[in-house]
Amino acid sequence: MPTVKRYAFVIDPRRCIDCRACLVACRAEWNVPLGHTRIWVHDGGVKGTFPDLYREFVPHQCHHCADPWCVQACPTGATYQREDGIVMIDEEACIGCGLCVNACPYGARFRNPETGKAEKCSACFHRVDQGELPACVATCVGGARMFGDLNDPESEVSKAIKGRRVYRLITDEVDTQPMTLYLAPIESEGVYPRPPEPLPAETFWKRVALPLVKGAIAATFLAQAGAFLLQLLKGEDEFEEA
Amino acid sequence: MSGEMLTVEQRERLRKQMLTKHYLASILTHWFNAASWIFLLSTGLGILLSKTYDFTPPGWNELMRSIFGGLAPLIHWHEVMGQIWLFVLSFNVFFGFRKYFMPFVAHRMWMTKDDFTWLKLKLPHMLGFDVELPPQDEYNGGQKLFLYAVVVGTVVIGVTGLIMTYSELIPIEYQWVIQWAMPIHFVAVGLVFAGVIIHVYMGAVMPEERSAFFSMFTGKVNGLYAYLHHRKWYERKMAEKAAWEARYRAEMDAKLGDPLMGAEETPTD
Repeated sequence: MPTVKRYAFVIDPRRCIDCRACLVACRAEWNVPLGHTRIWVHDGGVKGTFPDLYREFVPHQCHHCADPWCVQACPTGATYQREDGIVMIDEEACIGCGLCVNACPYGARFRNPETGKAEKCSACFHRVDQGELPACVATCVGGARMFGDLNDPESEVSKAIKGRRVYRLITDEVDTQPMTLYLAPIESEGVYPRPPEPLPAETFWKRVALPLVKGAIAATFLAQAGAFLLQLLKGEDEFEEA
Repeated sequence: MSGEMLTVEQRERLRKQMLTKHYLASILTHWFNAASWIFLLSTGLGILLSKTYDFTPPGWNELMRSIFGGLAPLIHWHEVMGQIWLFVLSFNVFFGFRKYFMPFVAHRMWMTKDDFTWLKLKLPHMLGFDVELPPQDEYNGGQKLFLYAVVVGTVVIGVTGLIMTYSELIPIEYQWVIQWAMPIHFVAVGLVFAGVIIHVYMGAVMPEERSAFFSMFTGKVNGLYAYLHHRKWYERKMAEKAAWEARYRAEMDAKLGDPLMGAEETPTD
């Protein structure tokens, strides 16, 4: 068995009845402020063709992507990814700039109005590190939400996906390798990722600020290096000196 | 400069003369500012993740984060020292407003016609063209120009730094303020630092300005340096000295003429 874990959510949307016990469990676990939530159940409405109709409910949260755009957007590393794949926020280091909130194509992040910091699903890492399940998974009455180590063939998630086709919420344009695997195709467009929309300040930083500062420092450094070289070639005149 | 017009005797006489260029308060402020810059630049570079914005040298993030025990304490120390830096600089401005700040603005920032001419002619002069540079005051046009960058830069760095330090107080509707504060902070630090490279070279390495470097420790420059590089200032200083001497003589004369002093106590030649 590999020693490195690779955590993932596996979700069977056909088993979700939209009871939202997961949302309550999450709110209780993390004291999420009213008006915000770290996890969602998207009501996609009635799908299929008569007489094979079904109501599509899509539980979703931070997908702990293998290629997390939020981590790439954070200027300091206050948002980072653990080796086991869980995308974390260092609340003490986060200044709540919101670049990660904008970078997440799934809208899985928000700025907590009470703390001023970015917030999202952390896969209940404190529970997971103790061998427990995330609160939403532990409380899911229908067994729609599963969580575990994909590198462990004996884990619930490995068994659930074994021999089955899995689906991810990706598009032709956006594939951040989300680590939430669905056991049925998802039709609701509302849960699919949106294309990247960099903020003006971010674009300014990358396109203007970085080249400008690098150029200015390189120019003055070369100027003084050139002057220093000339100074050495010229030599010193101790009697001329003031 | 018209230094070549001086005779050997004049140069030697001037070299022995010492003039006060910096008061103790200015010397302490300068070195406090320099130490703060070293600390804040090192920690700031440690905060800016090189993976996101390709700027910090490889390994620097890890080094700084290891020294301070992680990202959060590193940011904390950067914020604490940044605020101490701002407090000391602004305290200097407000506390020493008349004694230090007003003369600072008058002599270091007020651009005269000679300063503009100097700026125009300095480059051809450096390139060896036969141009006569106008006499300069306590600080030359280039130094004054750099000071504007430093003053504006300090204000911008301070304001954007405070925005990021107290970002949790900013409501979500104004989150763009934090977003813009970050790159503006970066640009201001970067441009001032680009100037600092020249400042350090000219102040510490360039032979012509060596006297200026040591003056940042002793406060003094010799008369020859003052005469050659800052003629206007030198002449003003001499005029001030002459005025002080005249005043002193007049005071002494008045005291000597005072009947209470007694004739027997009057020193005679």
